[in-house]
Amino acid sequence: MADLNVRSDAVDVEQIMKGIRARIREKRGADYTEAELQQLATVKLEKFLDPKSVRSDLVEQFRKSVVVPPAPNFEFGETTLYETHRGAISAIRKLFKPLLKLFFNPDKITSALHIQSQVNTQTEQRLRRMEERERLSYELLHNLTVELTRIGIEVHNLKMRAESLSSRMDFDERRARAFEAHTEAQRVAEPRRQMEARHAEPRHAETQRTAETQRPPQEQQRSAEAPRTDGGVSVASGGGPQPSQGPRGDGGRRRRRRRRRRPGQTFGDQQNQANAPGGPVGMAGAPADAGGAADDGGGDDGFDDDGGGNDGGADGGAESQ
Amino acid sequence: MKLAVVVQRYGADISGGAELHARYIAERLARHADVEVVTTCARDYITWKNELPAGEEKINGVTVRRFPVAHPRNTAEFGKLSHLVFEQPHSLNDELKWLEAEGPASPALTRHLQSVASAFDYFVFFSLRYYHAWHGARAVASKAVLVPTAERDPAMGLAIFAPVMRGARALMYNSFEERAMIDALSHRKGPGVVVGVGSAIPDRTQPWRFKKKFNVRRPFALYVGRIDENKGCAELFSHFERYSVMYPHGLDLVLIGSSVIPVPKHPRIRHLGFLSDEDKFDALTASDLLIMPSRYESLSMVALEAWALGKPVLANGFCDVLRGQCVRSNAGLYYESFEEFAEGLFLLDSTGPLGEVLGRNGRDFFRRHYSWTVIERKYLEMFDRLKREPVPELEPLPGFFARRTRNLPPGAKVIAAVPSGPAV
Repeated sequence: MADLNVRSDAVDVEQIMKGIRARIREKRGADYTEAELQQLATVKLEKFLDPKSVRSDLVEQFRKSVVVPPAPNFEFGETTLYETHRGAISAIRKLFKPLLKLFFNPDKITSALHIQSQVNTQTEQRLRRMEERERLSYELLHNLTVELTRIGIEVHNLKMRAESLSSRMDFDERRARAFEAHTEAQRVAEPRRQMEARHAEPRHAETQRTAETQRPPQEQQRSAEAPRTDGGVSVASGGGPQPSQGPRGDGGRRRRRRRRRRPGQTFGDQQNQANAPGGPVGMAGAPADAGGAADDGGGDDGFDDDGGGNDGGADGGAESQ
Repeated sequence: MKLAVVVQRYGADISGGAELHARYIAERLARHADVEVVTTCARDYITWKNELPAGEEKINGVTVRRFPVAHPRNTAEFGKLSHLVFEQPHSLNDELKWLEAEGPASPALTRHLQSVASAFDYFVFFSLRYYHAWHGARAVASKAVLVPTAERDPAMGLAIFAPVMRGARALMYNSFEERAMIDALSHRKGPGVVVGVGSAIPDRTQPWRFKKKFNVRRPFALYVGRIDENKGCAELFSHFERYSVMYPHGLDLVLIGSSVIPVPKHPRIRHLGFLSDEDKFDALTASDLLIMPSRYESLSMVALEAWALGKPVLANGFCDVLRGQCVRSNAGLYYESFEEFAEGLFLLDSTGPLGEVLGRNGRDFFRRHYSWTVIERKYLEMFDRLKREPVPELEPLPGFFARRTRNLPPGAKVIAAVPSGPAV
């Protein structure tokens, strides 16, 4: 994913736009032109997904539009040609019927028209049946269309929701990344100073401890006792690191484990080592770990300072074995 | 030096792009020369009705001389002729009829220019596509300096304009893209310079005052201008509505300007109507960015104002001028599709430092190219240069029958054949 990093004033708009387009290509999965996308979108919306184009009374409309009066038909029998409601005329027609048959054969016409009438009736019936079927199939088609549209809209909505959720996630992720980058940039500006400060403090503690060992024993005792009066909380006498420096506390714990692993060393030896000048001072009668548990930073830091002085020997001893 | 600025409309309350441009230039040049404005009595750029009194008046210390328009625009006739000359093969006579229909037809103004030609050193004509500029520039061709304010629209592809472009003494372009287009259309060889226009940027703005006055609480993108489909606002609304679904916590959209099309009712779109300059500049300062959705701009003054105030711009990438300015200044992004719009807006919203850096670039760009000292110097240097340059011959109009022969290609076709893209 092409990300944007603003680390200096020298931004290049064209590069940013390339990045934007790369992101869009990734999202789309295919590099459609805008016109192609528009066309696709239009087709979809027009043909499938537009709920307005589906009318709920379509079947009714169809029924109204297909109600056609039955086609005119006639019944044709043997006497149809001579029928009349006037008695006199009927008699005359019967009288001249043989004369008529002399010139042409009306029975053939009568027969043909009779058959035609029957054909008309059958066709009409067939058409009616077809119309019934058509109505049913139209209704079926209509229902299918409605269902398809509904499903289409649902799919569309779900897609939109998925897109919205993914955008929100994207937004949050990128915002978090921007913040991280910002914080990182700030942090990168002072790492050396922090590192120096971190390394300078043990050195300072060591220097102070060296100075203390050169002081008279009374002074050493005073300086060792001074923290014990400080509310019972372990405080480094040699100006150790501040409690907020968590990682150093972890280091202290690590070193503590190493000391425990030293062969032939008893708990009393450890306590003596801990109570040595310049080292951490625990609660009276309490194990050194208790200080660490009571005040993670202070206790550990005190231990750490001590460890700083003795670590070399301890680790060295361990490694040499 | 005595100069005449000739423009279609003029007034302290007339805020059209070219008209405001002309007023700024007239008022600025008045510090170095004796400037008189020659214009029409029209106030409305669609009807060109005579609404202001003819005669002389002073506006901000500049003498303004108004001439009546002979007839208002017949929109039906103009539409019919526009269709003919833009879309179909036609004659030169058709184009002249189109120009007359477009207006503002003021033969009195042209006659006045002819009568006072000897009294002025140069005539600065604004907006070549209108009647006053075409007839005026032909009437006093030997002293005509054109500020064409030409956009990439079919009107510029009409055959009547190329000889005037070639015959003018100098062309003061608004952008490199405009110069490239005009060079391609007219094959002009004479002097020309890309100048543009500055703006009356206040020394101090009060974004908090704006936010309090209009109760704007969330960060927002701003649009300033007429809310019109021609300005790309319909597309802007459509894009923004989709963007607001994608980014529910993104920017709001605030609109400033009179509306021609309805503004959609949307919880994240605010239309504040037409505001004073003070409010406008405060709004620009309070905004996160300016959006310019128009496809046709010869120079967007509001974009320049945004840059002057250190705000980035999100412009329509189909507008070569805006796109070119964004690229040259490194002070704005552009879009050609909804995806690009959403990504651009998102970047300027979420990547805080980017907007700041682009805004800073914009401020530098404005200071380097659009500060008044730079613009005034460019105009004055051009007038000096013209004293040494030879006067080009103005090509005469073809004869009676040639003018009536329908052998000219449609304007849209001509303009489509001109190479496009930002001049980077």
